[in-house]
Amino acid sequence: MTTTSTETAVMPGAVAPPAPQTKRRRGVRKDRAGYLFLLPWFIGMLFTIVPFFASLYLAFTDYNLLNAPKWIGLENFADMFSDPVLLKSLKVTFVYTFVSVPLSLAAALGVAMILNRGIRGLPWYRAVFYLPSLLGASVAVVLLWRYVFGFDGIVNAFLGWFGIDAISWTSDPDYALTTLIILHIWTFGSPMVIFLAGLRQIPVMYYEAAAVDGASKWRRFRSITLPLLSPIIFFNLIQSLIASFQTFTQGFVMNNGGGGPANSTLFYNLYLYQQGFGQFNMGYASAMAWTLLVIIAVFTAITFFTAKYWVNYDS
Amino acid sequence: MTTERPPASNSELNRRNLFKLSGLGLAAVPGLAACGRGFGGGGDDESGDGVTLNMVWWGDATRAEKTQAALDVFLEANPDITIKVEYQDSGPYQDKLATRFAANDAPDLMAMRMDSLREYADRGALLDLNEYADDIDLSGLSENAANLAEVDGSVFGVPAGLNAVGFVIRKDFAEQYGVAVPDGNTWSWDDLAAFAQAISDASGQEVYGTGYDVQTLQNLVVWVRQQGEDLFTEDGKLGVTAATMEAWFNLADGMRRSGAYPPAGFFEEIGGGADQSYIAQGKLASQIIPTNNFLGYNEACGGTLALLRIPGETQAVRRGQSVDCPHLWSVAAASKHPKEAVKLLDFLTNDPEASLATGTTRGVPASSAVAEEIKDSLEPDDLTATEYLMGLQGEDLPRSYTYPPGGSAIADFLDVIAVEVEFGRQSPADGAAQFIAEATAAIEG
Repeated sequence: MTTTSTETAVMPGAVAPPAPQTKRRRGVRKDRAGYLFLLPWFIGMLFTIVPFFASLYLAFTDYNLLNAPKWIGLENFADMFSDPVLLKSLKVTFVYTFVSVPLSLAAALGVAMILNRGIRGLPWYRAVFYLPSLLGASVAVVLLWRYVFGFDGIVNAFLGWFGIDAISWTSDPDYALTTLIILHIWTFGSPMVIFLAGLRQIPVMYYEAAAVDGASKWRRFRSITLPLLSPIIFFNLIQSLIASFQTFTQGFVMNNGGGGPANSTLFYNLYLYQQGFGQFNMGYASAMAWTLLVIIAVFTAITFFTAKYWVNYDS
Repeated sequence: MTTERPPASNSELNRRNLFKLSGLGLAAVPGLAACGRGFGGGGDDESGDGVTLNMVWWGDATRAEKTQAALDVFLEANPDITIKVEYQDSGPYQDKLATRFAANDAPDLMAMRMDSLREYADRGALLDLNEYADDIDLSGLSENAANLAEVDGSVFGVPAGLNAVGFVIRKDFAEQYGVAVPDGNTWSWDDLAAFAQAISDASGQEVYGTGYDVQTLQNLVVWVRQQGEDLFTEDGKLGVTAATMEAWFNLADGMRRSGAYPPAGFFEEIGGGADQSYIAQGKLASQIIPTNNFLGYNEACGGTLALLRIPGETQAVRRGQSVDCPHLWSVAAASKHPKEAVKLLDFLTNDPEASLATGTTRGVPASSAVAEEIKDSLEPDDLTATEYLMGLQGEDLPRSYTYPPGGSAIADFLDVIAVEVEFGRQSPADGAAQFIAEATAAIEG
């Protein structure tokens, strides 16, 4: 914390005398402002860096929280292959990610395009659509969701009008994950805001020129919007993938800390948590965390690799 | 962990930034496993000559009030001791307790779950109370109560109170639908099925006759003991057979098919309290509850509940019910003030004033003498539950054994398999076989 005070104390002093400066000095000053903005991140990093490397060490140990960790080499990692619950949690996480990420990005892009048509009260709509993404992973909203999708909830009442039998959205193992995927899609606001910013950067003249040439709406979307937006789509895709692999709160709250009906919403991170804090297998949990890092890194790398075939940076 | 790699073409600032930004998210992953959370607040403060004890437990605000009232009595008699109390919900409590032990910051006196006892005790984390026999008197405990925290001749805790499971029936529904409430001391599982069927039929399934939890371990334990088996044996093995498990699943399954028991998916995670329970909502006519909650449930049901024993006690191979406890009080082996902590524990266990203050929020006082002494000051509902338990305690019940290490995972397996069977994704026989396999592996592994 001392770093903060000295840094901020120096800054006003450095700014105050508006003396002519050399190019080099200005460079330093510019950098300093950058570092100042980074400061909160650095401070946060100090608190994560120790646990970060501690967990790497623990991943190779048998550690039950009460006795000293015992080095066991790769045993934790080997055990993971024969753990059916872990494989189940991987499956849950993969299904969740690969269904909800594309759908939520599509929803985000769709709404962003509607909002981009210059409707009145845009800031208001933007805020309204953005709001769920701030709340989506929060405990309150998941609890609310539990009631909306409850057996006597609004959704079943609505389906009832069409003569559809009530569904146990949260307690039927066949539906519980679907309910959480819908919750995820509903929180499309944060990629939407980024899409909206990207859409506004596409020069209108491209569309005008295309319209003059007789291009249909679909054609304009496919040949102008998508290519010019592809870096943004790429960014949102990576962000959503990473966040989705790490899903925890939704599963935890929806089922009071359990894995849901028949473990149907046992996310990888939730199982990791159960292992570490519930079963006292902190070494195993650490190994799981690092494995997840590798899994995410692999999928991120694959996405980066494919980027050169579909991401267009010539603007 | 940023994915710092040379961009394919270095002219595009846009692309580089996106690359870096995308990589940043990765760095957050492994932090989770290692993020320890303390109870907050500083360590124990040694200022002055007094002793500060740290006492932690789980529960709600009502329990906190009652506990504090007891502690106030203790503090008055021991002005040199201060007590720093921390309490919270049972789920997070469990996690934080483990983290505190890991951080060498164990509380002095703590609420200990029965199924976690050996996970702590076997690893040397808890104080053996036998070594402090001069400071705490455990002679007032019945054999049933004293056995609860005994592991290989050492005593690692004292029951904070005693309870058992009991069947509650809504008398108003029985009357409304013209079904007689069975005799709670002698009824059989067939009587339960008949009662439940009659209620469901008469109400047109507006009210289901019964809806006890199949996946709650305490309920299963009674059934297993009635069949002459032990869920956990004396030497810490799994003692239940697949046939007994299958019969347990079949019991609910049969009633579910006939409509006496609610259909699959009926029960949702609706949060704990008696107020929100299905029986209080009027959707069930009977269920199993821990007896120390009888007061709360009966209040939530407008005083319409009758408290019965678990069915089958007189017809089965042997008695299934047992005296249990909501939690134990344990002292950390690493406590800096073990003598004072044990002194506080002795007060909570043996001083009638302590139990007068706490009432039966953690069950009936573990010491029979204390229980007898406070009986007259109890509310009628509390008295019902207390007499139920004292009756059981006076009877000759087969001994139950503590959960072996790894035993707490069994509740998770049972929860998963019970739902699989409930939705017909697995037959009772397959579910039973899977339970045996997984539970055996968890205990031995």
